[in-house]
Amino acid sequence: MEATIEVSGLRKRFGPVLALDGMSFTVAPGQVTGFVGPNGAGKSTTMRVVLGLDAADEGTALIGGQPYASLRHPLSHVGALLDAAALQPSRSARNHLLWLAHSQGLGAERVDQVVEQAGLGSAIRRKAGGFSLGMRQRLGIAAALLGDPPVLMMDEPFNGMDPEGIVWMRGFLRSLAAQGRAVLVSSHLMSELQDTADHLVVVGRGQVIADTSVAELIAAASGDRVTVRTTARTEATTVLAHAGATIAVTDRDTLIISGMAAEKIVALLGESGLPFSEVSPHRATLEEAYMELTRDAVEFRATAAAGEAAR
Amino acid sequence: MTAGTVTPYRPDQQPGRDGFAQLLRAEWTKFRTVRGWGIGLVVALLVMLGLGLFGAAGSNGSCQSTSGGPTRSGQGCFTAPPVGPGGEAVSDSFYFVRQSLAGNGSVTVRVTSLAGLIPAGNGPGTATKPGLVPWAKAGIIIKASTQPGSAYAAMMVTADHGVRMQDNFTGDTAGQPAAVTAQDPRWLRLTRSGDTITGYDSADGTHWIQVGTVALAGLPPTAQAGLFAASPAYQDISQGLGGGENGTIAPSQDTAVFDHVSLSGASSAGTWSGDYVGADYGSGIGGYHQAGGRFTVTGSGDIAPAVPGQAGGEDLTATTFLVGTFAGLIAVIVVATMFITAEYRRGLIRVTLAASPRRGRVLAAKAIVLGSVAFVTGLVAAAAAVFLGTQLARGRVYVFPVSSLTELRMVVGTAALVAVVAVLALAVGTMLRRSAAAVTVVIVAIVLPYLLGVVSVLPADAADWVLRITPAAAFAVQQAVPQYPQVTALYSPGGGGGGYFPLAPWAGFAVLCGWAALAVALALVLLRRRDV
Amino acid sequence: MRLPIPANTVPASTVPVNIVPAPADTRAGRPLGLAEALHAEWTKTRTIASTGWLLLAVIALTVAVGVAAAAGTSCPSGVTCQVDPAKVSLIGIDLGQAVVAIVAVLAISNEYSTGMIRITLSAMPRRTVVLAAKAAILGALVLAAGSIAVLASVLAGRLILSGHGFTPAHGYELLSLGHGPVLRAAAGSVLYLALIALLSLGVAAAVRDSAVAIGIVLGLLYLFPIVANVVGNAHWHRHLEQIGPMTAGLAIQATTDLNRLPISPWAGLGVLAAWAAAALLVGGLVLRLRDA
Repeated sequence: MEATIEVSGLRKRFGPVLALDGMSFTVAPGQVTGFVGPNGAGKSTTMRVVLGLDAADEGTALIGGQPYASLRHPLSHVGALLDAAALQPSRSARNHLLWLAHSQGLGAERVDQVVEQAGLGSAIRRKAGGFSLGMRQRLGIAAALLGDPPVLMMDEPFNGMDPEGIVWMRGFLRSLAAQGRAVLVSSHLMSELQDTADHLVVVGRGQVIADTSVAELIAAASGDRVTVRTTARTEATTVLAHAGATIAVTDRDTLIISGMAAEKIVALLGESGLPFSEVSPHRATLEEAYMELTRDAVEFRATAAAGEAAR
Repeated sequence: MTAGTVTPYRPDQQPGRDGFAQLLRAEWTKFRTVRGWGIGLVVALLVMLGLGLFGAAGSNGSCQSTSGGPTRSGQGCFTAPPVGPGGEAVSDSFYFVRQSLAGNGSVTVRVTSLAGLIPAGNGPGTATKPGLVPWAKAGIIIKASTQPGSAYAAMMVTADHGVRMQDNFTGDTAGQPAAVTAQDPRWLRLTRSGDTITGYDSADGTHWIQVGTVALAGLPPTAQAGLFAASPAYQDISQGLGGGENGTIAPSQDTAVFDHVSLSGASSAGTWSGDYVGADYGSGIGGYHQAGGRFTVTGSGDIAPAVPGQAGGEDLTATTFLVGTFAGLIAVIVVATMFITAEYRRGLIRVTLAASPRRGRVLAAKAIVLGSVAFVTGLVAAAAAVFLGTQLARGRVYVFPVSSLTELRMVVGTAALVAVVAVLALAVGTMLRRSAAAVTVVIVAIVLPYLLGVVSVLPADAADWVLRITPAAAFAVQQAVPQYPQVTALYSPGGGGGGYFPLAPWAGFAVLCGWAALAVALALVLLRRRDV
Repeated sequence: MRLPIPANTVPASTVPVNIVPAPADTRAGRPLGLAEALHAEWTKTRTIASTGWLLLAVIALTVAVGVAAAAGTSCPSGVTCQVDPAKVSLIGIDLGQAVVAIVAVLAISNEYSTGMIRITLSAMPRRTVVLAAKAAILGALVLAAGSIAVLASVLAGRLILSGHGFTPAHGYELLSLGHGPVLRAAAGSVLYLALIALLSLGVAAAVRDSAVAIGIVLGLLYLFPIVANVVGNAHWHRHLEQIGPMTAGLAIQATTDLNRLPISPWAGLGVLAAWAAAALLVGGLVLRLRDA
């Protein structure tokens, strides 16, 4: 069975709110796909529709070409972590995994395997109500892995993880993808996704805004600015402006050059004998690229103080 | 970090067997791993047992005999009524004018009048006035011996119910309907052939119509045959405020005139002897007078099953030991509701339905797990309550005997009731998704109708209707002694009335099952259609 | 020279946030008292739609059951009836009290289940004051809803029963609040509902889980009369009816045959008040002593 998630034309309305408005994308195996968008863009709703928990008004969501309801042992096709807090507080974590395993015809040995994979250890026998945020996330991941599925969906798995946990999670997700699984991860932490995801699906207001690889998105947002640091600022300005570049001075010894490749700048400065300490093409962060992309789709944002925008 | 050409992941794991059994196992694991729910069931068991025994302990016998004899009072005194051939408690007190009948034979008689005396007012020692209680009876009887509770068959005329053939206390067959008068006398005949006795009646003495035929097992070769008169206690009882009773019970008597008396078959040479059978239990009023071929026989008492609620006494039935069922039900309802509402509250329902997308099966698995544990809890509690209650009551208060089959029906029926209520609570919890509302709805649906119908101020008609339509009708499975048409008594659901319900036991249970099925169907529709 | 940053880029980190300071706290130094707690609890209660619906349900169900009971009761002429018309019209209280119990239980259990109790207790650390404020607001709301329910029940009972043979010609006065015993029955029933609410609040504060609290409250109410009914011993029967919260409390509804009641009307309501006080005491202790 192919490890893919195919979402096509999903439409769903909750009362007056149109949560999904023609959502369509595909998650391919062997890579980590980031699922990003502003609050209220429809990420969690999409995941719930894929799992058959919510019914879409229109459109289809298929796992490996089949609708979720028709899957036998669904957890061995898709493992999902939607809400780490979905636990009975008075039940031990191990028993939580145990009943889940039983529902798929699996046994206690499988539970112990995923416990080890998720790095939970002896805490597994404590009541789930006493778990910290990070431990609950690990428990959720263990639950998602129970059926050893080729497709994984995680809704904000980095939430509440400490730095060590984030590093572990990043490596873990990448290794899962390297095994050939299709991994869909939604997150708000752009910095994390930048190092974790290979492909991005950017959504806003219930639709897909961008569906590209991370490298292309960053490249598109980077523009062609080059930052130059030099002690001979005036001379450098003259030389480069003479050569046709647009220059912005931001600091005592920093220039931002537009319209000229970095190699040419280096060549020009070298020819003129001007010293420089840094010539670096500006590389947008994923956060900048994302903000630019979703600017129009943001529903909730703090208002800038009056006067600031006029500057 | 590019995808490139990737071989999709092939898991090593063999997926487990799919199927309902796995789902059951998962739901059972869910249930047993929350300690609070198991504790809740234990609490249910303990309160069921405890309250039932409390009910048993809180009764001591009154000494009013069931056929209206003298009342003695005090702790722990009671006169146990005799026991009939079928094992049931009976009244067997009447005036008997008899001869021995050895072997086969028959008794024939003509009855020309039936009159009686009933109390004129309330209170002991009041005067009497002419009148008959509805089941005042007189006629002919063939009885195994004069021992109270022995087997018999009788043909009789009654005050309001025409000619009847009655046998072994529980059997009752109707003959010609109208009352007997001097112008319209009745002829009665009983014929014994081996163990079989056949009854006939006639309006003119020549055309005989067979009314019925019975086989009395173990009828001795020599039986007693002859005339009898019996008149059950006069009762004017009504259900009062708060479920109690008020009214009067006092002995009554009737007098019948017989002629054309003939006894054929081997018998002791025609000497009649008259005495009062069952003097320990009855009022002892009676006598006879023979003038030529005419016999005038007066008697008081009854030959019929004894029922609780008849004399307003404190005699118990095993139903009292099951009064704890209400408390146990409340605990079971709380646990069953929480089994589903806890999942909604925490969002765990999404995990469950993602693991098992076929929602009907999930609901079915939960229902089976809950129903099973509730059934076991109810079974253990009911069995223990009945057993221990009987032990506790022994010697202190009279408990009406019930057959083992009836006792089994009461215990298993109670367990089944608890199980179905648990499923009902599960369904309502699935529909409402909020625990407080669901618990209240189910408790109010089960317990409040019983309260209103039994204990409260509803008039009898409304109470009757409430106990037929609502889920509380299922408590009929706990009824111990059946209602006998030939016995006048205050048949009411209250403790003082003997725990009678308008519907037959399994009919009442079916009403509860109907409600539960409706709730499950609605819950299924909502579960399938709703987003989670 | 500074080139303008292109107009269509808004770096997130440089968006200033407009922070407006709170108005000066003129009450600083005075500990939070009952007035503030009452205000907070009232705001909490009136801003959930479900409170209103539940109180409406109290009224509707009480009146509906009373109407049904009255419709099924009749007194044919020539027969002395053993019926207490006031008690029959007010029988809906038996059901209305269950909804009142829900309202009261949810007033505190919802805070525990959502975790909001921590916010409440950190805003108002004096826990006894919090419980007292909840009790006061709850009591006031139930008194209001109960008054409407009782008045409507009595009115409906008067209209229906008078058509069913309960007329002055038969020896029954028409139900009217001017008649002393009927006024006592009606006012007492309203007080009864308020006391049930307080009892439920106390149990819920002690137990915290809404389902268990409701089970305990309904068990306390419904089990005393049921067990008393089957107990044969007259003494035990009477004592059970005297101490049961519902059996004692509903004695206030009787207007006829007062000498056959297990306990006198106001004493019965006092028994229920004792139950409510005990529950609130236990609940208050648990609230104070346990972690939130």
